[in-house]
Amino acid sequence: MEYLIHLAILVGIYLILAQSFNVTFGLGGLFNLAHVAVYAIGAYTTALLSTEYSYGPLFCIPASMLLSALFALLIGAISLKLSHDYFAIGSLAFSAVVTAVLINWKSLTRGVLGIPGIPRPDFLGVDYYDNANFLLLVGVLVVVTYVVLWLVFQSSFSRRLRAQAEHPHAAQSLGIDIKRVRNESFMISSLFAGLAGSLFAYYINYIDPSSFGLHEMVFVLSIAIVGRPGSFWGVTFAAVFLVLLPEPLRFIEISPAVLGPMRQLLYALILFAVVWWKRETLFPSQRVV
Amino acid sequence: MDILPQLLVNALISGSIYALASSGLSLTYGLLRILNFAHGHLMMVGAYFFFLVSVQLGFGLVASGLLTALFAFVLAALTLRVFILPFSRLSFMLTLVTTLALSNILEALVSMIFGVNVKSLSAGAAAQSIAIYDVYITPIQMLIIGSALVLLGGLAYLIHHTALGRRIRALSENPHAAESLGVSRSVMSYIVYAIGTLLAAYAGILVGYETNMQPTMGSAYTIKAFAAMILGGLGNIWGTIAGSFILGLVENLSIGLDFGGYSIPAGYKDAFAFVIILVVLLFRPQGLFTARRRET
Repeated sequence: MEYLIHLAILVGIYLILAQSFNVTFGLGGLFNLAHVAVYAIGAYTTALLSTEYSYGPLFCIPASMLLSALFALLIGAISLKLSHDYFAIGSLAFSAVVTAVLINWKSLTRGVLGIPGIPRPDFLGVDYYDNANFLLLVGVLVVVTYVVLWLVFQSSFSRRLRAQAEHPHAAQSLGIDIKRVRNESFMISSLFAGLAGSLFAYYINYIDPSSFGLHEMVFVLSIAIVGRPGSFWGVTFAAVFLVLLPEPLRFIEISPAVLGPMRQLLYALILFAVVWWKRETLFPSQRVV
Repeated sequence: MDILPQLLVNALISGSIYALASSGLSLTYGLLRILNFAHGHLMMVGAYFFFLVSVQLGFGLVASGLLTALFAFVLAALTLRVFILPFSRLSFMLTLVTTLALSNILEALVSMIFGVNVKSLSAGAAAQSIAIYDVYITPIQMLIIGSALVLLGGLAYLIHHTALGRRIRALSENPHAAESLGVSRSVMSYIVYAIGTLLAAYAGILVGYETNMQPTMGSAYTIKAFAAMILGGLGNIWGTIAGSFILGLVENLSIGLDFGGYSIPAGYKDAFAFVIILVVLLFRPQGLFTARRRET
């Protein structure tokens, strides 16, 4: 039972992380490789505020979300200068800078040692060290995220975002302010990535830079692609499916040293297989060769 | 002792490695207009294969080198055929995703076979430093600089003075015209990609001798190679090679020099590549050495 609760909490965190990625990547067609970096900023904000300064969750969670959204403005600025593959490299470089700072700013982040002893949230007098209660909290926040993002997906904002992805010039000629639409999409996306990061830090109690590497980004990307970019429920099912998929591996006898790479291999193969089968329709063809 | 000459030599050493590692990335971009996120991983896999045959199976140096070259050819043909060519004429996002997937596949396989710990190719006596004036340099490092000069010179000759090179340049400059004149894009991409993979694998082996190797070095060198390429201009091979040496220079000078009693911690050395990428992309996206051509 405890194990199922653990899985449900992980699924909840990844639902928030993947669906928020779906806003910029799926709707906006922006190949944003910095999403996990923003998630890391959310996680580190909560970790530092709750250990060093002993702030409660009512302060830590909103602070994580806001700080993440602030960094989104930087990514937005990068996306305005660069398009297509240039933005992919730019966002990758941004996330690499974040990782380098997390590793090297030892006085703040303890570098590769990570931050241990993050306390579970403490409010409304509920004991969140009990995972069932923590799951309840995650569940409520997933519902809130889903309601907000569902409204975003149904709004005219999402149509503007899709329009600038398919044809920026045509969208602009119809009066769509591309700068504003992109910035807003990054803000919304990062707000919830920060929330996911905050919950991750609270749940795992210990974070270090290795949780936020490129392989994590590829995992989030796999969820978005397996679920079909831009599809709200597709990405939802893909998140549940992909988080649970490697779990049976736990029950066969393999050493933990092989388990990590094996999961990585599994996800990369699935990602490649889906792209292979759907290569004609996965992304609208923009490039004229 | 003045530290500057030593820093310059160190910059030359890292620049040579970056140049070998990044020239293939740039050639491939010039021809196919795809960014290969797995380029550094090809380098890493080449280095590990060399480790396998020379250290674990005990082949001699020449035999190991030839086997690794053969392996790099097969690896190049296979990855290009499966992960890049089927997607290269569709949306640009597809090859970004497939090469990212490839990079993770290669890293996972190497981690499963060799483990995630640091491995090193022992250079024995060749790793002993020799002092020339005030500069310490090992024979391996001399080999790195010398062979980079020879190989890049060979590449220059190939591209500018042979029929093959003329075809490659024609395809990068005007693919339609070149193809209508009977230059095969797919044959050329195999050749260019194989050359790039060979150079990268060689660079990987040099890194294995000079420092050490780890499955995660793939991503690190992919990003370094991107930084060098962006400095020089995407797809501009000589710009990329110049960019490699600039990157080596910036990294070594930035951590070696004092700025009024304050010096930058060595851990940030790697971060410079990323900062360079961001700054150049934001202020001069066409690179330092290219006139703006591409419509964005």
